[in-house]
Amino acid sequence: MSAERPAPILQVQNLTTSFRTDDGILTAIEDVSIDVHPGETLGIVGESGCGKSVTSKSVMRLLPPATSILSPESKIMFDGLNLAHCSEKDMRSVRGARIAMIFQEPMTSLNPVFTVGWQLNEALSYHTDLSKSGRRKRSIEMLRLVEMPNPEERLDEYPHQLSGGMRQRVMIAMALCCEPEILIADEPTTALDVTIQAQILKLMEDLKNKLNTAIILITHDLGVVAQVADHVCVMYAGRVIEKGTVREIFHTPQHPYTRALLESIPKSGRREHGKRLPTIEGVVPALNDLPPGCRFAARCSIAEEQCIHTEPDLKDHAFSDRPVRCHIPINQTAEVAGSKGQA
Amino acid sequence: MTPKFLRSRGAKKFFKSRLATFSLFVIGIYTAIGIAVLFFDAITVDDTLQRVGPDSTPMIGEQKIEKRLRDADFHLARLESALNKKEEDVENAIANLALAERGISDKPREELKSEVARGWELYDELATQKDDAEFDAFDGKKKELKEQGIDDNEQVQKLAGNAADEAVEALVTSEDFVGSLEELEGIVAALYRPLTGWDATMYNLRRSIGTDRQGRSISIRALFSIKIALQIGVVSALISVIFGSLLGAAAAFYGGLIDHLVVWLYSTFSSIPSLIFLIVISYRFTGTQWESSLLPVYVAFCLTFWIGPCRIVRGEVLKIKELEYVQAATAVGFGKFYILLKHVVPNTMHLMFINFSLLFIGAIKSEVILSFLGLGVKNQPSWGIMIRDSGPEVVNGFFPQLGAATVFMFILVISFNVLSDALQDAFDPKHVS
Repeated sequence: MSAERPAPILQVQNLTTSFRTDDGILTAIEDVSIDVHPGETLGIVGESGCGKSVTSKSVMRLLPPATSILSPESKIMFDGLNLAHCSEKDMRSVRGARIAMIFQEPMTSLNPVFTVGWQLNEALSYHTDLSKSGRRKRSIEMLRLVEMPNPEERLDEYPHQLSGGMRQRVMIAMALCCEPEILIADEPTTALDVTIQAQILKLMEDLKNKLNTAIILITHDLGVVAQVADHVCVMYAGRVIEKGTVREIFHTPQHPYTRALLESIPKSGRREHGKRLPTIEGVVPALNDLPPGCRFAARCSIAEEQCIHTEPDLKDHAFSDRPVRCHIPINQTAEVAGSKGQA
Repeated sequence: MTPKFLRSRGAKKFFKSRLATFSLFVIGIYTAIGIAVLFFDAITVDDTLQRVGPDSTPMIGEQKIEKRLRDADFHLARLESALNKKEEDVENAIANLALAERGISDKPREELKSEVARGWELYDELATQKDDAEFDAFDGKKKELKEQGIDDNEQVQKLAGNAADEAVEALVTSEDFVGSLEELEGIVAALYRPLTGWDATMYNLRRSIGTDRQGRSISIRALFSIKIALQIGVVSALISVIFGSLLGAAAAFYGGLIDHLVVWLYSTFSSIPSLIFLIVISYRFTGTQWESSLLPVYVAFCLTFWIGPCRIVRGEVLKIKELEYVQAATAVGFGKFYILLKHVVPNTMHLMFINFSLLFIGAIKSEVILSFLGLGVKNQPSWGIMIRDSGPEVVNGFFPQLGAATVFMFILVISFNVLSDALQDAFDPKHVS
């Protein structure tokens, strides 16, 4: 796209992950391709069950090996290494040191029986060869970086003595202590209240600028995406349906699902009393009962005959230069002109 | 580390409970005795086999006159038989007569001999007096009944017996008789070396509860058994908790074939009634070189006890392994085995502690049962063996041995129960309010 963007550090291509279940093999995500560039935040959005977390866990290979299958054509290229099919030993050298992850539940993401300092120290001693005092110094430095008050005292405290926001800061400090190239944040702010959420997001933004880390931000909160993401990837029922910069996605959504999502956010400052907030009717199709055509067709307001029978590809359309998985993408500029005419 | 632990909230809560502190204190005493016996030989097996006095002497309450007479007989007979040995053996025989600290007097042998003779004279006199009184009363009563025309044999025997008992009772409580008996006891006491200071204290400790049917000290045997109980409790509970927990944790964490194998193993083992299993294992060891050691008991207990912690820890790990901190640890890059040992197992520590205290008590109680059946501890005293030995004594109305064994065991078991309860209240995160 733009020439000044550095080469992607992580390229996920055709990632397909399936699970062995009692109902047979179910494909949770199919044909997911995303690029992550250094120093940028990629937001992955979508509603519950659309495969956001499976995508991130596939990248980290955190899914249970006994029940999950990555298809052979899946490629997760990171520094010349295909993470989708590399050995557990190679994976271990990547995890933590080069790709770190923050989890959704700060309440349960820290081991309750060890102090914060112990856990930071453990991660540092595993990935760096700092001395004991050096590791302690670095731990305090990291806690200070994530704006933890009194880091020296906090080191000797147990997770249950910290608040949710502070725990998430510790998690971020742990994830960043080895200066990873990519930070995967799986709904990092979902369990936090709004003020803490804003602080954590700002913190991640600052850290990204300071350390030039690429961030993959997984969330269902479009507000969060608008605030911190540079690029956005919208997922629906296990597929990527639209990709673009945050500006493009928010201003000119081309997929009807993206647009419906945006419309269902309450807007402040606009007088819409008495008007019902638009919702998306219906539910995401179950994985063992996927429709043959477009997966959104049943809930789409503008679906046509071909949408029900044939599945669209993720491809660029005539009026824009970013990929959308839709037969009849919305040409926002044309529509805006049309709606003005109607009014 | 330690002062920090003592300042923690759980520790404060624990020490606030007076009962818990007291039980900790009691267990401390038990442990101290056990360690003293085990590592410093404070009480040796020989000590527990040594005679400290006449048989079946309770030390609590007034002694019966007849018993005192019999005891004098015991002392005199022992010394006499030693003195009558061949000239060259006498020294040895006298030295062997020592009742623990209580050695035979250093007086010249001739003097001892005359003392013994004097003792016998007095004893014979008293015994004859008693026998005469008994027979006279018996016969007199019989004659009296005959004159009255009662000739129902059973009734005559009973009434005459009662009369004889009364006559003996009257005699032995008479001042003359008691005075003579005290003189006799004085003679007997003079045969022994006078005890002073530490020796006297130790000898009194040995006799503090009484002696069993072989004249061995009940208190020493009960104290020695503390070591056996703690040894069996700690070793078998520790091994089975560590082994069972790690096996259960590994089974749940790795899943698949390992899990199937472990579940199969523990369901098979737990389907065998544990007491029968214990008996069979102990029985298998009879006749082998390990028979007289504690090994059969350890093996039997470890093989049956690992099931409990294994099952409980497996269940807990099944839950823990899905928690996010385990995933987070994987995301930091740690290996599976490292995560299992460093992140999962420490989170089951409270279960291990609780299981340890339960199994510890279980091991002590099972040891008593096995020893009672003659399959447990061999060649050294234990509470089970004491209870078994006290069988014939109880029939004769002599309870100190049974009482000592059960009270010692009861105090340890109840202290441990209170302690584990208090520990759980104070430290289990699910109980912390």
